[in-house]
Amino acid sequence: MTTTDLPAGRARTRTASSKRPKRQREGAAWVFLSPWVLGAAVLTLLPMAVSLYLSFTDYDLFNAPHWVGLRNYTQMFTEDPRYWRSVGTTLTYVVIAVPLQLGLALVVALALKNMKRGKGFYRSAFYAPSLLGASMSVALVWRAIFNDGGTVDHLLGTGGWVNRPGWALLAVALLTVWQFGAPMVIFLAGLQQIPGELYEAAQVDGASRWRQFLSITVPMLSPVIFFNLVLQTIQAFQVFTPAFAVSAGKGGPADSTLFYTLYLYDRGFVASHMGYASAMAWVLLLVIGAVTAVLFRTSRSWVFYASEGDR
Amino acid sequence: MPGDRTMKSRTAAVVLAFCATLAAGCSGSGGSSGTGGKVVLRYTWWGNPDRAARTEQAVSLFEKKHPGIQVQTSFAGYDAYKQKLATQAAGGDAPDVMQLDYRMIDQYASGGVLLDLGKRTALRTDDIDAGLLATGVVDGKQYAVPQGRGTETVVYDAKQWKAAGVAPPAQGWTWDEWADAMRALTKKSHKPGATDPGQSEDAFEVWLRGRGKALYTKDRRLGFTADDLARWWTFTDGLRRAGAVSPAEQTTQLDGSVENTPLGRGKAVSDFNWDAPSSGYLALVPGGPTLAPMPSGADGTPGQYFKPSMFMGAAADTGHPDQAAQLIDFMLNDPEAAAILGATRGIPVNESIRQDLTPDLKDFDKTVADFQSSLEGSLNAPPQAPPSGDNALQTTFQRDYDQVSFERMSPREAARNYVTEAKAELRS
Repeated sequence: MTTTDLPAGRARTRTASSKRPKRQREGAAWVFLSPWVLGAAVLTLLPMAVSLYLSFTDYDLFNAPHWVGLRNYTQMFTEDPRYWRSVGTTLTYVVIAVPLQLGLALVVALALKNMKRGKGFYRSAFYAPSLLGASMSVALVWRAIFNDGGTVDHLLGTGGWVNRPGWALLAVALLTVWQFGAPMVIFLAGLQQIPGELYEAAQVDGASRWRQFLSITVPMLSPVIFFNLVLQTIQAFQVFTPAFAVSAGKGGPADSTLFYTLYLYDRGFVASHMGYASAMAWVLLLVIGAVTAVLFRTSRSWVFYASEGDR
Repeated sequence: MPGDRTMKSRTAAVVLAFCATLAAGCSGSGGSSGTGGKVVLRYTWWGNPDRAARTEQAVSLFEKKHPGIQVQTSFAGYDAYKQKLATQAAGGDAPDVMQLDYRMIDQYASGGVLLDLGKRTALRTDDIDAGLLATGVVDGKQYAVPQGRGTETVVYDAKQWKAAGVAPPAQGWTWDEWADAMRALTKKSHKPGATDPGQSEDAFEVWLRGRGKALYTKDRRLGFTADDLARWWTFTDGLRRAGAVSPAEQTTQLDGSVENTPLGRGKAVSDFNWDAPSSGYLALVPGGPTLAPMPSGADGTPGQYFKPSMFMGAAADTGHPDQAAQLIDFMLNDPEAAAILGATRGIPVNESIRQDLTPDLKDFDKTVADFQSSLEGSLNAPPQAPPSGDNALQTTFQRDYDQVSFERMSPREAARNYVTEAKAELRS
């Protein structure tokens, strides 16, 4: 607000009175924020603090937590082979599922970008599994498809995938890959941001389609690729629902789908070792934080922001 | 700045008002509004709609006989019930009267959740078999009272068994005779004789008791060694390799429902199960299931026992311990209640009620009752309630056997793994 054209005395009163509505506005903002602030404090920060405390205790839900210091952590890292199995399973899954899912999402997005008719239909059709996929019901259908005597068994005669230790993890990974709709939509939006002149210029220079893809699409799309990669990696580390449903909550057969979160659930809610489960949760948080940081660090060398060109 | 203080206090007021609203909303739902000064008891159980209908009927009769008491009931499926109850108990909000499983008692009793019912004169236990009653005792206190009785059984498709020309199972048969029958059935019917019992802690317990041992000792430690378990798993693994029991892919699918058992899917001739839930096979086995006693030890020691199928307990911090005891007494000992409830929670444990009720039972209820009376007097006393850690060990047992049946570990390695984990669980 400008007060320069007003007499000094009036200016002072205006400034003083204009402060009041500002405070009131702040007050109003707090009123409207309060449900969120309360929610964050009571439903997120407080439980996190409690969980951090519990991770240093032995707590079975019934008896008071009993302080054990770092025992949960040392037990996890040195005495629990199943913990490491769950780490291995989760890493394998992240390494298989994330690149496959992003690759498929990109390929389909490229195909849809140049499509003249029926784009809307295909976009919805490919996006639908992502909406449905988070639900328990689709995971249960998935189990039925890959079960002994299920559709895949009938078509390929390979027996039930979810009942074989060597195949069950792949079945869960495929369920995730199939839900490529969300990254696909983001890729599609990114592709439409790339100026058409770049391709026209490249065509004039006689660049092949593959060359155009490598030299224009990938660099121009790299911020979106990076965004999807970070998001899907974080999600993949925390995968729970599909693993729970496909293995009927047990991480089987023979621990082949024992994901980190599933083992965490098993320790906390089946075996009543809430302290141990809390410690696992905190390690997962730190690992996801570290992986994200590493991704950000590497991104400097391969993510290209168009605005950098202006500098 | 004065403005800041105003803002802070205003914010604080808003927050306080918000909390007050929340608190009022919370206490409103749990209040005893509109009960007209009656004592209100919360009573929860797990089960199916049939059990719910009969329980509601019995509860309204109770309310009619005790005009000063109102009972609020709720029920859920077993898994949901188990988790909800654990959360309630952990939060100090256990229902006044609750249905309990064998495996919950020790954990809840040692966690101080359960009321000592032995001191409650309103609850009569004279008509309950002493051995069965003792299963609800922890540290010398009667924390839970059994409500129904069940036992394990070999449930089989009599038609196919007969067609294979194998002698039907008889009382007192041994595990070796059982194994011979499985091999013979497989040879004739070209499908496994039974579900692989290696994954079942229950079947292992029967086998173990047949050898004079038990899952747990009196002081709640492991009652067997890795050698015992390795022997059991070598026995079942050998049968699996011979094709006489179900293959690993089928065994790993078991989830407690009869629909997913090899017998239920038409892929085997027999199964092990508890007697009352075997009614589920009625819809799956043409001609219906037949019940036979479990195999016994080589010297004829029976491993099978009558197990309380479920218990009733009361919350330690209930405001109305006497009324809670009255409700439990009514559900267990009242003849009119028994007539309504029938065998919906297994065969009643009250001896006189059982005798009154048995002639009137129909259909599969009668099959179960007849099966139980055929075993009467020939079985050993049941073990005391399993220690707290056992809850998780049941799953561990299945999982470790998966490693055996998928041939990723030898029975000996898997048994050693199990015993190590079990010892750790029981210590904590």
